[in-house]
Amino acid sequence: MIAKNINLDPFKNTKLFTFERKVGVVRYVASFLGVLLLGAVIVAAQGEDPLNAALLILDGAFGGKIQFGNTLRWATPCLFNGVAAIIAFRSGVNNLGIEGQMYIGAFTAGVIGYFCNLPPLVHVIVCLVCAGLAGVVWVAIPALMRLFFQINEYVTTMMMNFIATLLCDYFVIWKIIPALGLTTTSARTPTIQNTAMLSTIVQGTTASTGFFLALAIVLLVFALYRYTIVGYELKQVGENLRFAQVGGVNVKQTFLAIFALSGFCAGLCGGVEVCGGYHKYVSNFSTLMGWEGIMIANICNLNPIALIFVSLIWGALKTGAMAMERATSLNRLTVNLLQMIFVLCVSIDYEGIFRYFEDRKRKRAELAALNGRGGEG
Amino acid sequence: MFWDVLKTSVSAITFASALRLSCPLVIGSMGGCFNEKTSTGNLAYECFMLTGCFFAAFGSFISGSPLVGSLIAILSGLALGGIYGLLVYHLNCNAMIVSVAYNNGAWAMTTLLMVITWGVRGNYTDPAIVSYKTINLEFLKQFPVLDTLFNNAIAMVYLSYVIAVIAMIVMYKTPFGLRLRGVGMNPTAAQSAGINVRKYRWLCLLIMGSMMGLAGSYLPLSGSSMFTEKMTDGRGFLCLTAILVGKADPFRTMLLAMLFAYSTALTLVLSSYGLPSQILTMLPYLMVLIVLLVVGVKKYKGIDISNEVI
Repeated sequence: MIAKNINLDPFKNTKLFTFERKVGVVRYVASFLGVLLLGAVIVAAQGEDPLNAALLILDGAFGGKIQFGNTLRWATPCLFNGVAAIIAFRSGVNNLGIEGQMYIGAFTAGVIGYFCNLPPLVHVIVCLVCAGLAGVVWVAIPALMRLFFQINEYVTTMMMNFIATLLCDYFVIWKIIPALGLTTTSARTPTIQNTAMLSTIVQGTTASTGFFLALAIVLLVFALYRYTIVGYELKQVGENLRFAQVGGVNVKQTFLAIFALSGFCAGLCGGVEVCGGYHKYVSNFSTLMGWEGIMIANICNLNPIALIFVSLIWGALKTGAMAMERATSLNRLTVNLLQMIFVLCVSIDYEGIFRYFEDRKRKRAELAALNGRGGEG
Repeated sequence: MFWDVLKTSVSAITFASALRLSCPLVIGSMGGCFNEKTSTGNLAYECFMLTGCFFAAFGSFISGSPLVGSLIAILSGLALGGIYGLLVYHLNCNAMIVSVAYNNGAWAMTTLLMVITWGVRGNYTDPAIVSYKTINLEFLKQFPVLDTLFNNAIAMVYLSYVIAVIAMIVMYKTPFGLRLRGVGMNPTAAQSAGINVRKYRWLCLLIMGSMMGLAGSYLPLSGSSMFTEKMTDGRGFLCLTAILVGKADPFRTMLLAMLFAYSTALTLVLSSYGLPSQILTMLPYLMVLIVLLVVGVKKYKGIDISNEVI
């Protein structure tokens, strides 16, 4: 029985198209085709030419230097939030509060960026680190509630999202704006100082060096899971808590570390948004960026390297959608809706479908064989 | 100032407002109880409610009758529930990811539909979105407190508590409810006892979809005659919390929904005192955390993460 399962063929594992890979290819191709089809229907229903819309999106995302810069700019938050989600979900922590942690981080960066006077490089670093730490503080509340009282972090992190946005708004509108004597109707902090800004990498856009920071963090996280014992322990806690406990992992400490890492990445995202993108804290600046991180992490199957590509595609779609909106009567929410449909399509369990059909084929063959024998007898 | 605030918080007006605000929460969470009892891990209540909201406004807009609006809202909930069931029960999607995509997709979808039908973003007010008529009971007018509390509300408010009672009876006094709870406790055991688990899950999902749709229809059809982007504004999440904290028990869930509605009512009533509206809006969400903490402290079992979560 056991000998059967041992793999004697040395080339079997190096085969280019293993079952998993085949399923993976089918998963993405099928989802992509499905979204294209549905997208064509949705666009056509609004009385526009689907092909034209698709070309506009492509042109708006990669058509030139400015367009590509914008794509990079919108891919950056996806990378940060995606990493935050990957860290959490790999270890079985349901951190649905990435959005809130990001807001708190952004607010912290906005405040430090405006009020502190520091030398150029130090100022940016202080801003970003404090933004990350603010995210950690924000995620610590659900984490401690989970640790002490076994309260599901589902609910608490989600509620903390609402509280975070409202708290930031409160501080901006009731504390900062009156204190500075500003006469503005919109809830935003003043522009941060030049020393706190990340330098742009593409002139004329807000694509900043934050993109490289994000890439570095993604690669670091990849290396952490791939090559270090700590990464293995983090993963083990998610896959089998009891086993990790018996194996000598300090589960409580690891659990808190996961929360903290995830919160740090989310807070950092907010910091980069302020230091590199908006140059000020703007109320409700994120259009569901935190939730997008969770969805992107699911699309790339919690794999950090795949995250880079998915984030770029996501950023391209976002930039392209804006270009599409400018050129046609279509709303950019069409693209948003299609992104969600893509998420739904990708999350379908294709492996299960394959297995189901294989089972059915096998059963039918067995039945046919049985019937054949019966006929003979 | 402090005493004024306190006096307002326990005044009849606040409770009357809480009663009206509790309607969508109670209806929604009653439907959600059934769904949660069959352990499906659905978090997408916000989506169901928001979609119900839009279609209620839309139905009322095209037909001129709020009843048709509610009906279309229920149908939209059923349709969304159908897709959800297909994805989660038959195609084995991760329920949480589907829920997150649903919740965010709902915002995009309703706003898109709003742009297509009315050509505006933000909010759309039109008397053509006909609301339900309010009910005034003559004999209650003699008692000022009861008059403020119960008069001048639409029928759906009373209906929500009828639904809550029906939900309790169905859940605890009928064979259907017994089997349902069995499915929730141990699907394998229920299956071996001859219960079609998938059928029960589907039924409960559809109950949830229709109830959420109905709950959503309260918001545009309760007198405001308008539809706003993100109109539900976290009510779906409050429903979810009430269900999760109440362990999907209809009575406890109803009480929690009423508590959240009361804290939402406070935000409306107290805003006239010049308190920061952001802090007031936070109240329901803070209330959730407080309730969770109280439950957690009561069941304190020591510092551990491998214990079952609440």
